[in-house]
Amino acid sequence: MMMELTTRHFRQQSASACRDSNLRAVLDHATRYFMGKRGAALEAFAGRDEHFARARSARLNALSRLPDLLEELERNATAAGVKVHWAADAAEARAIITGIAKAANVRVIVKGKSMVTEEIELNPALEAAGADVWETDLGEFIVQLAGEPPSHIIAPAIHKSRAEVAELFAEKLNLHGQSIPELTLLAREALREKFLCADMGITGANMAVAETGSVILVENEGNIRMSTTCPPVHVALMSLEKVAATMQDAADILRVLPRSATGQKMSSYVSVLTGPRKEGETDGAREMHLVILDNGRSEVLADPVLREALACFRCGACLNSCPVYQTIGGHAYGSVYSGPIGTLLSSLLLPQDLTRDLPFGCTLCGACARTCPLGINHPKLMLALRQRVANGRANPVSSAHSLLARHPLAYRLAVGVARTLDPNLHLLPRLPGMPGLSEFVDSRRPPELKKPFAARRRKTKREQKQ
Amino acid sequence: MHAHLFIPCLVEDCQPEAAEAVVEVLESLGVEARHPAGQTCCGQLAYKTGDAKNARLLALRYLEIFAAPGPVVCPSGSCVKMVRTYPELFAPGTPDHQRAVDLAARTFEFCEFVAGLPGADTLNAQLQVRACYHGSCQMPPGQSGGVDAPRRLLSSVRGLTLLEADRDDRCCGFGGIFSLQFSAVSQALVEDKCREIMVLEPEILVSAEPSCLMNISGHLARLGKGIPALHVAQVLAASLKKETPAWRRK
Repeated sequence: MMMELTTRHFRQQSASACRDSNLRAVLDHATRYFMGKRGAALEAFAGRDEHFARARSARLNALSRLPDLLEELERNATAAGVKVHWAADAAEARAIITGIAKAANVRVIVKGKSMVTEEIELNPALEAAGADVWETDLGEFIVQLAGEPPSHIIAPAIHKSRAEVAELFAEKLNLHGQSIPELTLLAREALREKFLCADMGITGANMAVAETGSVILVENEGNIRMSTTCPPVHVALMSLEKVAATMQDAADILRVLPRSATGQKMSSYVSVLTGPRKEGETDGAREMHLVILDNGRSEVLADPVLREALACFRCGACLNSCPVYQTIGGHAYGSVYSGPIGTLLSSLLLPQDLTRDLPFGCTLCGACARTCPLGINHPKLMLALRQRVANGRANPVSSAHSLLARHPLAYRLAVGVARTLDPNLHLLPRLPGMPGLSEFVDSRRPPELKKPFAARRRKTKREQKQ
Repeated sequence: MHAHLFIPCLVEDCQPEAAEAVVEVLESLGVEARHPAGQTCCGQLAYKTGDAKNARLLALRYLEIFAAPGPVVCPSGSCVKMVRTYPELFAPGTPDHQRAVDLAARTFEFCEFVAGLPGADTLNAQLQVRACYHGSCQMPPGQSGGVDAPRRLLSSVRGLTLLEADRDDRCCGFGGIFSLQFSAVSQALVEDKCREIMVLEPEILVSAEPSCLMNISGHLARLGKGIPALHVAQVLAASLKKETPAWRRK
């Protein structure tokens, strides 16, 4: 299900999300669960730091040679029988994929979970072209039924409790179950029919390997493999930074990705697809397409600091570790990608007038950077984005403060006057130009202005001399 | 040996006792504390609002203020982090960049500095107290992933029960300008933090980050559950003295 971009309302949406105690409880449980699993897996991961470094170097290596690697990928995928398409932006990608669907007279489409198809708002375009589109990842199926966008990169329905899912299945599918195994079985039966009658399968791509032309897909439910093998046509949509130079690089990445994402040594399914079904083979799509999407990424790649965001392989660990995400969930961000990496990607890929507030919705605590197995320094990039948003125009509060701070006599005088008139800072919320201060003071007693350290020190020194 | 005191704005005017304690601890370890004049703000606020121009102007002031050689010691992790960011504000190869690199290399967070001093292991520190330590996310990490300096120092105080809350290193929700622009989220986070602290029933709250102390203790006060909120330096200074500390006499 696609979403209207409401990123410009991030501040208000984050405030409303905080007041939703049900959401807070579900998020608290889920993010702790993920962090726990991940922590245990990493504890048992011999040579962890070295493996992290190899995965990082595989990703950075790919970014540094991206144009060459993409051409190599195109050559090798084409040689394996894949039809490769280039999409400069979301509209082009939608047109390419609906075009493939129309040409093959497609009526029913099954989809594997893919954030990049969310990014280009593919489903409404396919539906408008007359296709029946089914999300087949359990979490994605749940949010599709609910008419909501996913709220987490790897756990789209993380914001829903079991009880909410049971209600949703009863309402939308007239299927009744309570326990998680029951509900899973119901979804499985409903989806099995769709796989068998689907004319086309659409997936994302965790990686594509330049040296072999292979598309690699990582998952736990088997629905992605079925989406690529049951229907006669398979379309993989890949954002262009996901290329890996070699199978060795891909292996280095695969050693880290599932551990960091779900705490698994390896996902239940890893599919390596090199071209469509060949003569004599018994399964696989008869027609395979790879759509390579830019959608603003080439520009990001040109920025020496911010390009690091493109190293991300979407394990989602930074979301689970982020105190802000843990509190407000994914929907409040109002765009497809949420949490720390989502803040970076949305700020880089969407128009700036929509995303001005995003990099400020962060305490810069750095939990994300400490968690990221690829060593992405989210806070540093967040600060670079703040500079970009400010664009040389200082925040009025900071500007006034800086002016005073450059003139120590005026600064001391201002603090001295404040201490004499209002030592307990009761008037603080009335300061002009500082919205949010009254809320701050409502929940925290403001600090007291005391006799400053410098004056105390002078006094002590005088006493010592006497 | 001497060290220059870098006293954050919040400490200078709102928590001067922490700065006094810094001096006491340093002197007890044989380090002469000097306090260069003219200190206001290191530029952290400007930098974090995206205002690199003002951050640079304020950084230039601090490069002057701390131009004299010798270590610079500061009782705030986030202010030290700012000074360590100074080199990014100047073009590589320029004299200002070189001065920034030099200052960044000799600026230390108070605990980090004290824990590295020769006498730190043999401090005769004693204090009977149940202390909840808030490990601020702004603190420098422990060397090669080991226990960080504030925890090592607090553990060396005899009689001190070091309590750490669930998710002890989780952000308290302050984040400077964040606490104003995203006040609801900030409040939710400080509520979580205070709940997790209060179940431990500590007598005092200890941190090495003044802004976290202000945020957490401010909320505890609003809840009517105020407890003394002390900088690690204050706890160490008290543990080196015989008399009852001021915060206990109240």
